[in-house]
Amino acid sequence: MKEHCEHQADCLKRIQSILDGGASEAEKDHFRQNMDACKPCIDMYNLEKCIKEALQGKVEKKCCPEKIAAAIRSGIAK
Amino acid sequence: MPEIMSDTQLQGYTDEQKYEVFNKEFMPHIDSMYNFAFRLTMDEDDANDLVQDTYLKAFRFISSFEQGTNAKAWLFRILKNSFINDYRKKSKEPAKVDYQDVETTYNSDEASETEHTTDLRFETVQDMIGDEVASALNSLPVDFRTVIILCDIEGFTYEEMAKILDIPIGTVRSRLHRARNLLKDKLKEYAASMGYNKNDD
Repeated sequence: MKEHCEHQADCLKRIQSILDGGASEAEKDHFRQNMDACKPCIDMYNLEKCIKEALQGKVEKKCCPEKIAAAIRSGIAK
Repeated sequence: MPEIMSDTQLQGYTDEQKYEVFNKEFMPHIDSMYNFAFRLTMDEDDANDLVQDTYLKAFRFISSFEQGTNAKAWLFRILKNSFINDYRKKSKEPAKVDYQDVETTYNSDEASETEHTTDLRFETVQDMIGDEVASALNSLPVDFRTVIILCDIEGFTYEEMAKILDIPIGTVRSRLHRARNLLKDKLKEYAASMGYNKNDD
């Protein structure tokens, strides 16, 4: 297991692309082949995934007040 | 990839069809639109106005929308443009004071290429509650906040984000990368101030 990653900046970008669903097949292959052997990359992956999940699941999603939806409906009815 | 209000052919909707498209394709996104507006303006009244203006604009230009294409991205693009044109100057943005520093540190191409490390641990983020994560997000300058909202909260693809923001996909990726580095710094600061890391060392 590698304790230091010499490509950390590039690996971080690749990890983000993978988590975002925007990675190429080559990026995914590289990730699959190397990830398990590099501790800094495993840590980065876990952190990026955790932050993404926190943003998706923990941050309150504000709902539109009904009066605004009603105002829109009446605005287009004119 | 659907076009979003660009050079697409104008649709010849009847009045009845316009209302049908509006109700079926636009109105279901109103909560996401409001959430986006609120995260941009950080103000409920401004978010109310921005959503209302955007929907009325969408109705006015409904002939530019092709039924069955990506209505959510189309609406988000209108909202983003309305925000830039009409609201940005007056929006209450707490991070404004720090913006110059942030620009200098994060907004250069060189900054995106340099190695960015953080000792923030995922367990620390797991322990945080939603309001704390939201505070860190809200403290980012609006351009960085926007890409994180679009990608991580709304789940848009890079291609959709590029269309919504009128920027190349490469810029979407690099802006996201910089935004996330900044967010991690904010989360780290927040965690330290709240004592989340006290047992880590």
